[in-house]
Formats: sequence, C-alpha cells, structure tokens
Amino acid sequence: MGDEDIKIGVFVCDCGTNIAGVVDVPAVVKYARGLEHVVLADEGRWSCSVDYLSKMQDLIRENKINRVVVASCTPRTHEPLFKRTTKEAGVNPYLLEFVSIREQVSWVHMKEPAIATEKAKDLVKMGVAKAALLEEGQEIRLPVKTDCLIIGGGMAGMNAALSVADQGFNATIVEKEPQLGGLLNQICFISHDNHKRPAARVVQAKAEQVQSHPQITVFVDTQVETVEGYIGNYKVALKSNGNVSPQKLDISTIIVATGMQEIKPEGQFEYGNDPRVITQLQLDNKLRNKHLRNVKNVVMVSCVNSKNESRGCCNIGCHTAVKNAIAIKHLCQEASVHILYRDMSLIKEEGTAQQLAKRLGVKFLRFPDDRYPEVRKENGDLKIKVYDLLVGKEFELSSDLIVLTTAFKGNASVGQVKGLLKVSTNPDGFFQESHVKLGPLEFATDGVSLGGCAKAPMTFKESSEAGIGSAMKASIPMQKGYIETEGIVADIDLTDCSQCGLCSKRCPYSAIKVDEEENPEVIKALCKGCGLCAADCPNECIGIVHYSDDQVFAQVEAALEESAEKKIIAYVCHWCALGGVDMAGVSRLQYPSNARLIRVMCSARVSMKMMQRPFELGAAGVLVAGCEFPTCHYIEGNYAAEKRLKRAHKKLAKAGFDPEKLWNVWCSAADGPKFANTMRTMISELKLE
Amino acid sequence: MSNSILVIGGGIAGINCAMNAAKYGTKVYLVDDTPSIGGMMARLDKTFPTNDCSICIEAPQMYEVDNHENIEILTNTEVRKVNKVNGTFKVKLLQRAKYVDEEKCTGCGACVEACPVSVPDPLDGKVGGKRKLVSMAFPQAVPNVVTVDPGCRFGEMRKDGACIGECAVDCSQCRECPIALCVKACEKEGKKAITLWQSNKKLDLEVKSIVVATGIKNAPPTGDLLGYDKFENVITNTEFERLMNAGGPTSGEIIRPSDKKHAKKIAWIQCAGRGLAKEKGTPYCSKICCMVSAKQTIITKEHDASVEATIFYNDLKAYGKGFWEFYGKAKENDVQYVRGRPYEVFEDPETKNLTLRYEDLDTGELQMHEVELLVLATGIMANDRNKRLAKALKLKLDELGYFKEKDPLLSPLETEVDGVYLCGGATGPIDIAESVSQATAASMKAVSN
Repeated sequence: MGDEDIKIGVFVCDCGTNIAGVVDVPAVVKYARGLEHVVLADEGRWSCSVDYLSKMQDLIRENKINRVVVASCTPRTHEPLFKRTTKEAGVNPYLLEFVSIREQVSWVHMKEPAIATEKAKDLVKMGVAKAALLEEGQEIRLPVKTDCLIIGGGMAGMNAALSVADQGFNATIVEKEPQLGGLLNQICFISHDNHKRPAARVVQAKAEQVQSHPQITVFVDTQVETVEGYIGNYKVALKSNGNVSPQKLDISTIIVATGMQEIKPEGQFEYGNDPRVITQLQLDNKLRNKHLRNVKNVVMVSCVNSKNESRGCCNIGCHTAVKNAIAIKHLCQEASVHILYRDMSLIKEEGTAQQLAKRLGVKFLRFPDDRYPEVRKENGDLKIKVYDLLVGKEFELSSDLIVLTTAFKGNASVGQVKGLLKVSTNPDGFFQESHVKLGPLEFATDGVSLGGCAKAPMTFKESSEAGIGSAMKASIPMQKGYIETEGIVADIDLTDCSQCGLCSKRCPYSAIKVDEEENPEVIKALCKGCGLCAADCPNECIGIVHYSDDQVFAQVEAALEESAEKKIIAYVCHWCALGGVDMAGVSRLQYPSNARLIRVMCSARVSMKMMQRPFELGAAGVLVAGCEFPTCHYIEGNYAAEKRLKRAHKKLAKAGFDPEKLWNVWCSAADGPKFANTMRTMISELKLE
Repeated sequence: MSNSILVIGGGIAGINCAMNAAKYGTKVYLVDDTPSIGGMMARLDKTFPTNDCSICIEAPQMYEVDNHENIEILTNTEVRKVNKVNGTFKVKLLQRAKYVDEEKCTGCGACVEACPVSVPDPLDGKVGGKRKLVSMAFPQAVPNVVTVDPGCRFGEMRKDGACIGECAVDCSQCRECPIALCVKACEKEGKKAITLWQSNKKLDLEVKSIVVATGIKNAPPTGDLLGYDKFENVITNTEFERLMNAGGPTSGEIIRPSDKKHAKKIAWIQCAGRGLAKEKGTPYCSKICCMVSAKQTIITKEHDASVEATIFYNDLKAYGKGFWEFYGKAKENDVQYVRGRPYEVFEDPETKNLTLRYEDLDTGELQMHEVELLVLATGIMANDRNKRLAKALKLKLDELGYFKEKDPLLSPLETEVDGVYLCGGATGPIDIAESVSQATAASMKAVSN
C-alpha cells in the first residue's frame, strides 16, 4: 500500500465527562484532523456504546478508512471490543491503534485541563504516527492432530492416558520399567482422609483399564530416544531393550509424567550398614509382601535429607509415617512404635489419622531442628539417642527396625527428558512448571504438559488429579485441531542475520528453531510476541508485528517534535506496569504530565536503541516500566530488561548522554501509587518542575 | 442434549475450569454470587512462595474469561434448584439485581463520586475503609460495573443519609428517579445505567455437567479469640493482607487500626483458634497459614526493614515446592520464629499496645511479648454457601462442611451425582496452584461427560 492510500480515522471518546470534563475533546478532534493521513476525526460521547460502535463502523466504511485510532480509556479492558468493531467494519484489526487518554490523561491531570489537552493531543499524534506504519496481521494457526505421547506409566501417566483416550484421541504410554504402576508398585496401602485401598489392586485395576483401551498403546521397558519438532509436529524415536525403533512416531502433544524416586540415605543412621535400617518405601514393600514379622521396637525418623539447605519439605513424609505406623500396629499390636519428628505436617483430616495412631499407642517425639537423633550399634543391638524437645531430656531407645522417612528427588530420567524437550528443571531434579501459581500443569513450551510427581512430591490423590489435568492441557489443541496465537509475533529477516543463534537460545518459549543451515526460523504459532529476541538481536534483523522498531520510533519522534526538553518517554509493559498506570488513573492519583507513554508487550522489547533514541531527540528522560519481580507475563522478560538497562547506562555515557536520565520502575498492577510516585520523583530529580 | 457446562464459583478455580472448558470448545456458564468474579485471590496482595502480585496475575485471566466467546459470566447469581432429567441438568438460578444495567454501565465511577453516603466496608473487617452505597467491588472487577446497595434502595439507609430517604414510594414503582444522586450523575454522563427499579431475575439453564468451585472462607475469630473482639489492634491475617495491599483500604500502608500509625512491632499467631471446641475454631490444620504468615512478614520487612516481626507457631507447614526456601527467606529477613503456645492477650489502655502471654515450647517457660499489632492466623473453613448448594445439588457434605467426593482415591473430584464435579476450596483447605490443578482436572471431566 502506498503512502497516499493511508486513510486514518481518529475516534476520540468523551467517556461522558470522564474525559471531556478535563480534556477539551473538540480541540483534540480538530487537532487530529490536521495530522497527516487523517481523513476523519470524530468525537463520541460513549465510544463503547452499541450506538456509537455502529456509527463508527458506518464512518469507517463511508470514508474508506483503513487505519483506526481510538483515543479513550485503556487497552487492557477495551482493546478486544474495538478490535472486533474494526474487524466487523472490514478493516484488519491489527490496523487499530489504541490511545489511552482517560487513565493516562484526564483522570491523572484533573486540575490542569490545558496541560491535559496538550498531552491528549500528543498521545493522539503518537497514535496516528504509529497507525500510519501499521501492517496487517492475522491470528496464526498451527494444525494439531490427535496423537498424544505420555512419558511415564505411573498413576499420573495412566490417568492422563485414559482421559486423553476416552475422548477418542490416541495415547501412547512409554514406561521404562517392565510394568505399569510406577512408585505404587512398591507401596502397600494408599490412603486419603479416611479412605484406604491396597495399592496393588489399584494398580492392577488401572493397568487393566489402560491395556484394554483401544486407543492406548503401551510400551514398557522403553524409553524415549529422540524428539524432534514442536507441537502438532513431533517425531519421536523410542528405544526398547537397547534397540532404537527405526520407525519414528508422529506425535501431536506430549505429557511428562516421569514421577520421582526416594533418595537413599547411604551412610546416614547406619543405613546401608545394617539391614534393620530401612526407608519408608522399603517398609511399605515389606508390609506389601507381608515380610514384616515379629518386630518389637520400631523407630521412625522424619525429615531425613529434607528441610535442610539443599532440599525442602518432602510433602508426604509425615502422612506416610503415620499411615505405616498404624499398619504396623494393626499387624503386631504389641510392637512399640515411635515417630521422631521435627514438625508434624498433617493437613485437615490427616490429623485424625494421627489421633488414631496415638490411640493405638504410637508415640510421637519431637526433636530439635538442629539436633537429629543418633543411631549406634551396641553388641549388635541398634540404639537410637534422641533429645525430646517437649520433655527437655535425652532418651535412648532400643530398636530392631529403624525406618527413615527420606526425601524424594525427580526420576533418574529427568535429565534426559529435559534435554529432549528443552524444558526446565529445578536443582532437586523435579521439572519446573510454567508458572508456580497459575501454570502448574504445563511448561512454557506449547504442547508439553506436566503431570504428577515429576513436578514435586504429591499424594496419590493429587498426582491422579494432576494427571487428569495435564490431559486437559494436552487435549485442548487436539480437540480444536490447531493452536492459535495472536498475530503479534516475531519475524526474522535473514538478510543481515549472522547466524549467532542468540534469538533461539534466548527465546523463553523455544519458538525459534535453527535449521540445518543454521538459519533461525520463528515457529510463529509458538511465539508469544514478547520481543526479547528483537531487542537482543545484534544485527537488528528481527521485527515484532505491531511493535516494530519503525513504529515505536515514529511514536517517539511524534512525542518529541515539540518541547522535547520537558518530556519523558516512558516504555510501559502491557501487563503489570500499564496495570499500575491504570490503577493510578482509577484511584485519581494526580502526577506531573511530562511523560508520554509507549506501550510494549514486555519490558524486554525495549532495545538499547529505543532507550537511546529519545535522548538523541532531546528528551528530558526515559523510563522503562515493567512487571514487579518475580512476576512477568513472559516468564522472565523483566529480568532481561533489567540486565539490558545496566548495559544501556554504560552505553549512554559513552555516547555522551547522561545515564542518570534513564530510569526504570518495576511496578505491580495493583500499585498505582508506585507509578505516580516514580513520575513525581523523576520530575523533581530531573528538575522539570 | 445440552453441550454446555455450569461452573459455580468465579474464584481462581472457577476461572481456570471455565477457561479450559471454553478453550476446549464447550459453552460455559460461570456463575458467582458476588458482584465480580475473582474470588479470594482478587483480595490478596501477594502470593507465596514467589511473592507474585496477586491481582497482576489474576486480572489477565479474568479479562480473558470475560472476553471468551464460549463463556457467559453471571454475577450476583445463585443456584437455587437443580433437577436432572435424562442426563441433563435443569438449573434454576436467581440473579440478584445490581440496580444497574450491565450493558450500559461503563464503570466510569461518576455515580460513586456523586453518592453522599459512605458506609464501613465489611469485607475488610477491622481494617476496612469505607465504601459508597454505590460502588465497584474492586477496581479490576469483571464485569466492570457498579452495584447499588440494596439497603439504599429499600430505604434502609435513610437514617444514614441516603439521598432517596425522603421518597414516598418504593423504587419498584418508578421507571425514572427524580431524586437519587447516582441516577442523576449517570444521566449527566449520558447513560441511563442506574436502574433502581430493577428486580431480581430468575434464570433457567440446561447443562450437561456442573463443576462446584465455591471456594473456602477465612475462619472467623470467634469467642473473643485472643482479644480480637475487645482490642482494636488485634486483627486477622486476612485483614493484614488488605493492609499490605497497595489496592487495599490503606493503600498498602501497614498502619494499626487504633491510631493509624505505622506498626513497628508486629507478631503473628499461627493456629489461632485451632483445636477449640466446635463452632469456635478450626478443628484441623488449614495447610496454608504458615506460608501466608511467612509471606506477610517478608512483605512487611520489604515495606520497612526496621519492623520487628515475630511468628509464634507450633508445627511449621512448608508442604509445597519452594515453600521451605520461602520460610528460609523469612528467617534471612530477620523474622523471629518462636515455638510458643499463646495463652492470653492484654492491652495497655493508653498505648493500645498488646502483650501476649505464651508458653515457650522449647523451654517450657511462660513468657511475655509486647507488640503494637497482633495478627491472628485463623485458618480456613468450609464456605457457608456449601450447605444450601449441597441441598440443591443433592450432594453430601463431610462433617467439616466440605463437599464429599464419591471416592477421593479412585474417582477424584467426582461426586455421588454423575456429572457433578468438585474443585478448589470446595474440597478442603487448598492453595492457588492446587486449585488450578484441580480445576483443570475437573474441566476435563466436565467436558467429556
């Protein structure tokens, strides 16, 4: 499209008196009419009302408008509405630019109508300048078929497979052991609240269901050897008994359910030196196989290898110890059972199990965090010395069976699976989920979900639920037949690419693949549009749709055309920082009006050049505002931004600019005061009052 | 047969359940009996163990749910009656009037400014600020519309100075209001969104599955627990959370109720009220309170490192990933952990400071500890709404008031009624991540039923 064809329509909203009560909207509209490419500017009393939206569509059609600028409230809540309206009027929704003159102007400069009006004009000018450069975009789809690979055939994996298969999708379970069931194959009873079931029967029933399901294929004694590709398009090779299958499987989605393993406490508490010192899992095995006879004095020690510098609470130890103590009491009523513990971590009705144990005569004895019990052998007898915190005395117990409640770590295959799928793990050998709170069942990489104890130690019930949940995550794209992302994605121009591979390495979503000729390629459906790669690319060959360098610079130039020396360019991330800006608006916090905000999806999008360009044009200051740590909508974009800011300070100094004028703020979406205060401090420190 | 599902409860569990089902292609009705979705999480300041800002991570999900074509959100709405006929649930709901036309209200707040009457906001309890009779649940509310206090409309607020106090007829008699300031303010904005004559609406839905995500409630400190009823500066941990919150009643200033001064010595009491007689406290470990207090002390120290923060506890629960390290972080920040059993609390009538008498469990000695603000970690209990809902859904509750699963081990999240599933706090004390995990599993069951 040539320049002369660009027809921009500007729609300025009164928001009743919310905007028009402060900003001289007719003046802004008049000003907009004078801007290049603008063929129409209109004032709407309530732009978001059904009446005005349909008027807007008529105006767009009548005037053959092909770029739309809406100046109103905040894109965080209203952009989807105006995008839909624009689309229905026949204009590609990526050709809409949203300008916020309520939250960023009228609500925060209520007492300065003239200044507010000038700022609103500036923001509209910036919006128009960007709109002229906008390019059409579209949602990107990637087809996804219905073949799901489940790595791990424990309870989480089997539950996941059944959930997937029950919808008519194909599930393939790969289990490295000779039989399905995982850790449950070593456990006697499972329990929850007052329910109790023999583990062997649970496994048997589940395994039968799995094996007889027509949509499920099970490979035991098998491991995943290689994985290539991405969601909808994986090629997976398996290895059984040392032989790699020549035929690769076509896989659409992957569920990781590799489970966990007990850490063997070799050398601690005489474990390994004396067969009478065992772990809880070994005790479970003995109970299961009815190998426990004639024990007289059982002592359990909790928190072995957990709650120390390298490892946290094992999550399930207290519950397991109480469960097994009850089992021993039921088996040999005469046996004395002691549980030596630091904290009893029993939730809700697990507490009633402890009461039952106490009624059955199990003794609970608390030892200090820094004074673990000691085990020694005397004339072949096991003695255990423990300091009882509640009584304040040291005791020595004789024992013929010491059970250590040890911590767990991720399965032995974690390292290999991590390498194959390029997902993250924690230092203790568990997989790292995409978000600790809101993404417990998935990885940052699309198409790979996470179930069961591969994430962290869980009870049987939690693990089953996580398995079913991970199946939902895998099923959504299989049911739809595709994944779709907003068209705000990275685009690499290979002309100047030096094949350094930085973009591929840095992408938090594994969305950039390097092909055989070492050329990077964006798998657009996997790209989330954060812009980290674009800002970091040393040769500037990556563009981000809707946030290209040109578009951002056009905004900067428009903002600084007049009185640059008084203005601050503030790059604000769409998620939290803009949330903070909006919150300041909603709370009517009044702050100085010098800043011109430029929205980016993530603070990581702000390149060195973007930080420097405003200074070249004479700006008084630059602010980069991103999410408060550790929150980031793009995993850790704000960390990348912080690092870059440090480098930018040095670079600015070298280029002859005052690095003290480059500011940053990490602001939560609830923290309006923080943003407002930053504005006030900047103005006073930069002496702009 | 209907292909829709109903999700009862719009907290983080309900939101995730609805979102997953909608993405799967299923039509979802998301029902909440309060004016906005968001639930408990929308009121929190931070989330453990990462100290993520709660609303920052929840609001994008709320907007996403709001904008999803497969989701219909019904707020202020209660499920009244459910009948299962040939595998389809016929659900009768009651949508309580907000006295606002949701289609027209833009959440601009002109009516709130115009409203002359401020009343205490009971949601924030002792630290609560005030809210107007017409108000928004919170700034990020979804739907982003105001609600008029029904008391105002029924004339109950006349004595408090409500503007329609002099009116001779009931609001339901009018179609326009010549008196109410909120109505006028709205009209001045060119909207006629405030409709005091609105009445409650009965709704009927047909769905194939129902997910119960009704959440938990904070255990109230009953029977003057540790001076809560008597002393101004004894508050609950939920109230403290609101103090920390930049979006809360004090804009994030940790000030005590008595004199609005910054508290420099604060103590937290874990398991407050636990194990007391029936109806008086939480009978079990609520799982999350240890981490809530660790978080609150860390954030308090971030606000002001000179604050003395002490936690009185018995058993430390650090049951989840990264939780133990989080506890370590609190200790690194110089938070004092004291194993102690609290006995009673005295107030200095002049300074309004509080003295806690407790038994040091390490030494067995009785000790005193004076603070300026005392925070009670009172735990979590089953939600009050469970009882009536259980009746409507023909479900059973356990003796603690949580919904019963048919077989928690072999068919988790399923109930005695085929097609009705549970997730989140409806099943017991639970944290956010576990709620999300369960909600996702429940959505799997609901869509494939």
